Amino acid sequence: MRDFRIDQESRDSVQLIRLSGSLDMYSFPRLESELNALFQQGRYSLVLDCRDLDYIGSAGLGALIGFAKRAREHKGDLCLLNVPERIYKIIELLGFTKVLQVHQTEDEAVASFQAK
Amino acid sequence: MELPENIHREESADKLLIQTPGHGSYLAYIRAIVGDLARKIGFDEGEAAKIEMAVDEACSNVVRHAYSPDKEWCWQQRDPEIRLDIRVEGNLLIIEINDHGQRFDFANYRPARMEDHLREMKPGGYGILIMRNFMDEVQYSSNDQTGNTLRMVKYLKKS
Repeated sequence: MRDFRIDQESRDSVQLIRLSGSLDMYSFPRLESELNALFQQGRYSLVLDCRDLDYIGSAGLGALIGFAKRAREHKGDLCLLNVPERIYKIIELLGFTKVLQVHQTEDEAVASFQAK
Repeated sequence: MELPENIHREESADKLLIQTPGHGSYLAYIRAIVGDLARKIGFDEGEAAKIEMAVDEACSNVVRHAYSPDKEWCWQQRDPEIRLDIRVEGNLLIIEINDHGQRFDFANYRPARMEDHLREMKPGGYGILIMRNFMDEVQYSSNDQTGNTLRMVKYLKKS
């Protein structure tokens, strides 16, 4: 069982946030506080790389939608990258993929902001 | 998987009992145990993932709402605890999640439809919708002697 971990890097105006471990109601406040800090710095173009994510629960999904909504109000967005198939099937089934953009490659994710 | 000492686990042929402290740091263990069991009794990976998520939502609600520190509980003199009684009866997987925290008015809770929630990009309120989506039966009961129990059933479809 991996501990939840968040690593960040900037790529031009886009913030790449790499997640690993489980994003559940216990670990989510850590991500929430990092996202709030980014918003306070005026960074509204966010890509969450989920390649090493083992699990995501509704607390995490709901809040990501809330952050995406806030980001869009500032002409940014929050999108997902490299979502593992097991997680993708679940979030697709629930309808979250209709609201959150999901990309296959980092270049594609970053380019989606340049196209805005 | 090695469990922390304060998780109690008892397993027989068709029953599993798990008792953990009512704290979010134990949710990952609960998910792992329930997911393993679901796969062992014949659910495929997709169905096991749904069961795991439904149980996680239920236990997260216990931690976040039933044991919320700013609420009064009937059983506040006890340590917060989550107890899961899981058994297989024929083609049914029955999961009962028990706590002794704040009661929830489940019968009168009318969540919006998932589609509406998503369209409005609501940041919360998905837990019970997910349980109802992913399990075949979801019922809640509460009484002064036994506490609050959420009963969820999943049908094992024979292929």
